[in-house]
Amino acid sequence: MEFDGTFGLADVTTEEVWLALSDPVMIKNALPGCQFLVEVDNPDDVDFDALEEAAAEEEDPATLPEADPEEVAERGLAQGGHYAALVQVGVGSVKPRFETVVTIDRREFPEMDASGQGSASDSSFEMDSGMTLVETDDGVDVEWWTEADVFGRVAQMGQRVINPVANRVVGRFFKQVQKELSDVGDESSGLRDRISSYI
Amino acid sequence: MTRDISLTVNGTEHELSVEPRALLISVLRDELDYTGPNVGCESSMCGACTVHLDGEAVKSCTVLAVQADGCDVTTVEGLATDGEFHPIQQGFQEEHGLQCGYCTPGMMMTATELLDRNPDPSEEEIREALEGNLCRCTGYQNIVRAVENAAEKMQQEPAVADGGGD
Amino acid sequence: MGAESESGSGVQSVDPDDVDAADILGSAIERREDPALLTGDAEYTDDIELPGMVHMTIKRSRHAHARIENIDTSEAEAMDGVIEVFTAADIEAPGNLPTGWLLDSLEQVDHPILAEDRVRYQGDALAVVVAEERYIAHDATDRIDVDYDRLGAVTEPSEALADDAPAVHDDASGNVAFDWDIGDAEKTDAAFDDADHVVDLDLENQLLIPNAMEPRAAVAEYNPSNDELAVHMTSQNPHLHRLLMSGVIDHPEHKLQVRAPDVGGGFGSKIHHYADEALVALAAKRHERPVKWTATRTETYLTDAQGRGHDTHAEMALSDDGDILGFRVDTAANLGAYLSTFAPAVPTYLYGTLLSGQYDIPAIYCSVTGAFTNVPPVDAYRGAGRPEASFVVERMIHRAAKEVGMDPAEFRRRNFVEEFPYQTQVAVEYDSGDYEKTLDRALDLLDYDELRERQEAARAEGKYVGVGLSAYIEACGLAPSELAGELGAQAGLWESGLVRFHPSGKVTAYCGTSGHGQGHDTTYAQIVANELGVDYEDVEVVEGDTDEIPQGMGTYGSRSAAVGGSALVKSSQKLVEKAKRIAAHQLEAAPEDIEFENGDFHVAGAPDRSMHIAEIATQAYLAHDMPDDMEPGLEATSFYDPDNFVFPFGLHAAVVEVDPDTGEIDIERYVAVDDVGNQINPKIVEGQIHGGVAQGIGQALYEGAEYDDNGQLVTGSMQDYTVPKAEHIPSMETDSTCTPSPVNPLGVKGVGEAGTIAAPQAVVNAVCDALDVDQIGMPMKAERVWRAANAATDGGEH
Repeated sequence: MEFDGTFGLADVTTEEVWLALSDPVMIKNALPGCQFLVEVDNPDDVDFDALEEAAAEEEDPATLPEADPEEVAERGLAQGGHYAALVQVGVGSVKPRFETVVTIDRREFPEMDASGQGSASDSSFEMDSGMTLVETDDGVDVEWWTEADVFGRVAQMGQRVINPVANRVVGRFFKQVQKELSDVGDESSGLRDRISSYI
Repeated sequence: MTRDISLTVNGTEHELSVEPRALLISVLRDELDYTGPNVGCESSMCGACTVHLDGEAVKSCTVLAVQADGCDVTTVEGLATDGEFHPIQQGFQEEHGLQCGYCTPGMMMTATELLDRNPDPSEEEIREALEGNLCRCTGYQNIVRAVENAAEKMQQEPAVADGGGD
Repeated sequence: MGAESESGSGVQSVDPDDVDAADILGSAIERREDPALLTGDAEYTDDIELPGMVHMTIKRSRHAHARIENIDTSEAEAMDGVIEVFTAADIEAPGNLPTGWLLDSLEQVDHPILAEDRVRYQGDALAVVVAEERYIAHDATDRIDVDYDRLGAVTEPSEALADDAPAVHDDASGNVAFDWDIGDAEKTDAAFDDADHVVDLDLENQLLIPNAMEPRAAVAEYNPSNDELAVHMTSQNPHLHRLLMSGVIDHPEHKLQVRAPDVGGGFGSKIHHYADEALVALAAKRHERPVKWTATRTETYLTDAQGRGHDTHAEMALSDDGDILGFRVDTAANLGAYLSTFAPAVPTYLYGTLLSGQYDIPAIYCSVTGAFTNVPPVDAYRGAGRPEASFVVERMIHRAAKEVGMDPAEFRRRNFVEEFPYQTQVAVEYDSGDYEKTLDRALDLLDYDELRERQEAARAEGKYVGVGLSAYIEACGLAPSELAGELGAQAGLWESGLVRFHPSGKVTAYCGTSGHGQGHDTTYAQIVANELGVDYEDVEVVEGDTDEIPQGMGTYGSRSAAVGGSALVKSSQKLVEKAKRIAAHQLEAAPEDIEFENGDFHVAGAPDRSMHIAEIATQAYLAHDMPDDMEPGLEATSFYDPDNFVFPFGLHAAVVEVDPDTGEIDIERYVAVDDVGNQINPKIVEGQIHGGVAQGIGQALYEGAEYDDNGQLVTGSMQDYTVPKAEHIPSMETDSTCTPSPVNPLGVKGVGEAGTIAAPQAVVNAVCDALDVDQIGMPMKAERVWRAANAATDGGEH
């Protein structure tokens, strides 16, 4: 199934959005039900149990505006990089925990493509996604798309159930991003300039 | 880890320990041997598991047993009194309101609640009230007639209407 | 028996105590099976609790088509309460599920009960969990880790037959399971050459999921000291299940008992032999403990054999006068991932042979290609082939009448078969019929002429009213066995019935059919009481247990009354014959001088010299005074093998109003006039019609198994697959005519599937009529109807 949309973020610059959407910590915080999101070396051999344990013990590093933009850029998603995430989503009467691995296939400011797959006990998915940032009069539009194949119990519920869930997850994600970024805008313009310099 | 609960089923009190996630239907069927209510869909769509919880028709496949702690439960086994059929049972028998019978216990529990609320329902009201109870055999026509038949009987003999055991 | 009712208002049932013994056959008596079902005393399979019983679940494929790289059961096996997890690799000889109907060109493929290295539909069985508790078994199933290498999937038959389709089975080239045809191609081509008009339609008969309210279930118990294995299961045919299962799990047939307790509906889905029930039996043997498995609703959606699934191109050749000259049908039939028990018969002999409908069509040719796809096996679902045939015929008739400018009722009348028996161009010979009678009765009920005037007036006001007719025919009681064998059946199609007098004069009747909601206990008792002249209450009926009933073929194809009921008649007649000789002996008269009436044997001309049959039963078991050459006892078994099918028929009509702005359809009236021959119990007949029509309307408006591009079922719950609710089904007006069948001693024809066969095209024709379009696909959901209403009438699928 295919999903796409445009999410408008007000009072932000393309560079700020780029940096935020490249920050695994920010993404993890903004994504509902995401337990952790970390870079891994081998996408075919991920020990999710160990990662979950480690994530539970560690405290999350700061995100913008508190974080140092240099650090954020440093830990940012890299082209060719593999990332593991554990995401629990409520779909109808079930709440599958998806062990997810995502690969950043292309990352060229202001565009990014990623592909990945996730699997839970009775459901799984495979997806290709992309986004483009477009500057607008009052901020930035994030144009995004996803082509997903869904399998198992979740697939059986069909688009009637999956579409609202997808819309809810995406809506919450961008609202949270907007919230965090509006704090960036509140800071002195020095942060904005420093962010631009890392792109 | 279990929790102690008490359920009064068809007038008989039962004390038992249940898992917090145990569904009312499983406890009724597997622990207490009330196998009248049936499991048809596990998703509250079909209504085969319908019982009365403190007089209200509920789908026992979506009620946790612990939620029913301290409640009065009436199952299809509690409809007849002293060997005498409840009017809804008579209605289903006389109007051929059942074929395989799997949906029938739930269907009758929903119908008796309707008749408590609305003693003289129209055909439309009956069909609407039964929207959460699926039947694959009868095409519903004789079920509607069965409910009408029961309504008529209960109006003629109001005393019988109390036979539901709620 | 078989009185024709006067109006469409419905049959009034009566208490059996209020019926004279002589009138019991044909009376609409209340059912004797109801009290247990109304009080919760009924015993469905999942109600069975046995000491020491454990629970089984099945790990199923998430993907519609994949190679299995690894199945890791270690985490599941380590759980507390898990007794065993086994896969194909753990069992010595994983059995293959057999196909019970072979065709010359059939590509037979393996159908293992546990998939080994490849899965072919979402729901294919991969591993079995046996655990102390049901909850634990389900939890453990979720912890089995399967590595899949996903393959391309195909779900539509016409796509599966395309050149670039993924191969479901490596051995079945082009996904072709068989090519089959019937009729005379050359003669049909010639008819088309001579035609004044040719009409054609592309018709899809969508995949349906049976949705019996009771999910499939089995409880097996094994006694190692005598090797006896008992399987209590949701079965429409215990003897057939016993025979097939004994081969699949390699257990001797005589030490295998299959028993169907109360069964909560079947509609075909409980005929077939699935892997699941065999796995329960295997698990019981492995652990020497009773094992229970009950399908979740999700499992029934994924694994119950589905029905229909035809893509058809049909053409009809017509004369200017409105005569049908020829009929050509080409169908791609979806068989699913494997060949289910009777799958090859459904889109061939149960379909092509019915394509003459109620009409005298001089040339017919039908070709069918069976296609493997990545959906669950497709097999018999209520009607099985005959709804597909009737749909094609009646949709084409509707189209043809319009083409030649005739009223659809008059076009039908002009082309009806009038003389019986009638030999069709597609092999079968109709036994009896009177098609004008059901048409006229239905037109009367509809007030057809007035209705057509109202339709025109409504159109002038911008309202879209439509009338759809469906003149259906079905074939029940497939027979005789010799013919079935010639056509590929791997089983006989007789039925057995044992009627046994007890010494006290009470009677038990055993029949090899196996009812699951049809009321056989009542109707068989009516039949036997009538034949023997004993009280209805003195006859007990036993069905559904291989340990009690000699042999049997089961309940499907509307065969029970025609074949099973007739077997009981034959046995009863044998008893009467024997009893007559005992009576003659004891009354000291010649057997030919003994007359039998209402249970009494008396000497002709001396009515006071008489004995009741119950008294003779006592004498037969006392055996103190028997004719010289006669054995004691009074019981008889028959294996009844009919000479022919029986052909019920009728005319169903739907009146709809369609809102072209929203696409919503309102069925204002539904009229059903059926002729099922003599009726044993008119109330039960009426109930069968109601339920059948509801399923047919469900197909027309709501139901359909839909898959995404990966073969994932997206209508896999009762929320997504719309089983019609009370509000969805109109109040039906039913009526009947009676043309007894000459084929069987009861003159009955069968009624279980009639409504389902008749209804879909009545509703589709009505909507097409309302909108004046040639074609709308099923299910006619609002969007589809809206599109049809707002598109040019191009005759294509919308």
